[in-house]
Amino acid sequence: MNSKARQDFIARFVITLLVILALNFFLPRMMPGDPFSTVSSDVQGEDVVIMTEEQQAYYYHYYGLDLPLHEQFVLYLSNLAHGDLGKSIQYKMPVINVILLHLPWTIFIVLCATALSTVAGAALGTISARNRKSGSDRFMMAGLIAFAEIPSFLLGLILLLIFCVYLRAFPLAGAVTPFAQYTGFIDYAMDVLYHAFLPILTLSLAQLTGVYLLTRNTLITVSTKDYIRTAQAKGLGERVVWTRHALRNALLPVVTRTGFVIGMLMGGAVLVESVFSYPGIGSTLRAAVVGRDYPLIQGILLVVAISILLCNLLVDRIYEQLDPRVTE
Amino acid sequence: MTSEQSVNRYRIQIPAFLQDTLDRCGKMYGIFSTEGKIGLAVFLIIILLAIFAPLISMYPPDKICGRSLEAPGPGHLLGTDELGMDIWAQICYGARMSLFIGISVALIAGIGGGALGVLAGYRGGLADLVLMRTVDVLMALPTLPLLVVISAFLGPSIVNIIVILVIFSWAKPARIARSQTLSIKSNAYISAARMFGGSPAYIMRRHILPEILPILFVLIISITSYAIMAESGLAFLGLGDPTSKSWGMMLHYATGFKSIYFTPFWQWWLLPPLVALIALLLCLAFIGRDLERVLDPRIRTNGGL
Repeated sequence: MNSKARQDFIARFVITLLVILALNFFLPRMMPGDPFSTVSSDVQGEDVVIMTEEQQAYYYHYYGLDLPLHEQFVLYLSNLAHGDLGKSIQYKMPVINVILLHLPWTIFIVLCATALSTVAGAALGTISARNRKSGSDRFMMAGLIAFAEIPSFLLGLILLLIFCVYLRAFPLAGAVTPFAQYTGFIDYAMDVLYHAFLPILTLSLAQLTGVYLLTRNTLITVSTKDYIRTAQAKGLGERVVWTRHALRNALLPVVTRTGFVIGMLMGGAVLVESVFSYPGIGSTLRAAVVGRDYPLIQGILLVVAISILLCNLLVDRIYEQLDPRVTE
Repeated sequence: MTSEQSVNRYRIQIPAFLQDTLDRCGKMYGIFSTEGKIGLAVFLIIILLAIFAPLISMYPPDKICGRSLEAPGPGHLLGTDELGMDIWAQICYGARMSLFIGISVALIAGIGGGALGVLAGYRGGLADLVLMRTVDVLMALPTLPLLVVISAFLGPSIVNIIVILVIFSWAKPARIARSQTLSIKSNAYISAARMFGGSPAYIMRRHILPEILPILFVLIISITSYAIMAESGLAFLGLGDPTSKSWGMMLHYATGFKSIYFTPFWQWWLLPPLVALIALLLCLAFIGRDLERVLDPRIRTNGGL
């Protein structure tokens, strides 16, 4: 990537981050009313004012809400830089702690699903490209494309109904068996995998088609290139031509796509985790939405958004390492 | 008069424009693949469900009209939910919600975004730059978490959901309309039209818009299914309009019911909205793909690959 494109990329990254921060900051402040003029009463028509004006002014000052908006924004940014995301109303502890408690589970299933969908998609794509226009190719194309149209949380519900409710083969909720006594690490790992299997499967199925189509189409394009014919003319075996010459070049865009896949999965995990009551940040987000826990909602958005942006950045670096043409 | 004559006379009475439309519909129908035809048929059924909901549902969707959690039977076609409301009625009225939100989002975002794209592409300059930067940022934003946060703060109502979904879906039509406009603009016949004194508005209307409309139409269908999906996802999370029973809201209430998976209730409470949503989304996808194949010249020349 040359320096112009790189500057462009970083500029876009920064702008996107700023937009998310600004949304996070201004949305609650644009809402009518404020936390201190809350009026509540059990009797209809009778308003009970909780605080006097003096108390209100005190709290405005205490929370820095009497500052001009731009100073509040700077304060907000500096708090963020210190890792201070505010306090969760439901959990009664700092938002950052709640997120750190649940984020590992989400990262775990998202990474597993990314790996699974990339490997399986690339494999199926290769098979499909090698047997182009055959029955199996057409069957896979039609089937996988139709599959891709079902949103992941509906797919998750179907899998849940089939495997957990009807067949009772997998657990309905949670990430580990409650009160289980583990004999060792392997035992624990098996239990975790057993609980995570369906969420991971759902997430990977949702991304499988994209990887499959990309692999298949790039492989078909690559296989018409001159260097493939050269390799064949040199008398190299079919397997070597496909793996060393064709696949190696065709997989580059698949790698780039991985970042995109992780991003999509972080978003999709919000809904899929809710389906399986998996204790990641997706389920936490649903609970926060239901309980109107605004600081937690904002914190989760920020964490998810930043991790998606970081993934894009990371994949960009990996791509440079893989493709020498880019660094030149 | 023989019966044959009466049939002939009947045929003559069809007005010419109607005959023409029927012919065209027949031709259009012919280009659809098998799954496209199935998609079209099921989509029509869902539209009819939505239009005639009050006639075919027997009960209003938000009235308690039976015992709680009744199994499907002659009284209630698909049984009742935990409050004793008829599920079949909720499915019929839910079709209205899903279609209304999907189609209005798609029309506003598709036509609005398309118009902005054409204008920006034709005029160029600062407006173009600003528009494209906005589109870049919008497309880089993580959609679903933002949708959740914004609708949590704006409060759940149909109008808010439509506005939010439009904000997140106009970028794609705008970008495509712009790039198409740029490539059409460089043609000689556009220069010729300008030389003859064609105003920008005339050129955009007469030469550019007709070229872009087919692609926009395909995009509108894909935005429709995106909007339906996003609405059901938000509703599933509990961010739907609480006064309306959309399919997503039904999923929300059903999965929120404590022992739904340990009782047979899921069979008539959870399954119908799930099946309906998947059917609708698959149909839209099939229709969209067929139209894309026919209308998009790029794909047509490549032989569908």
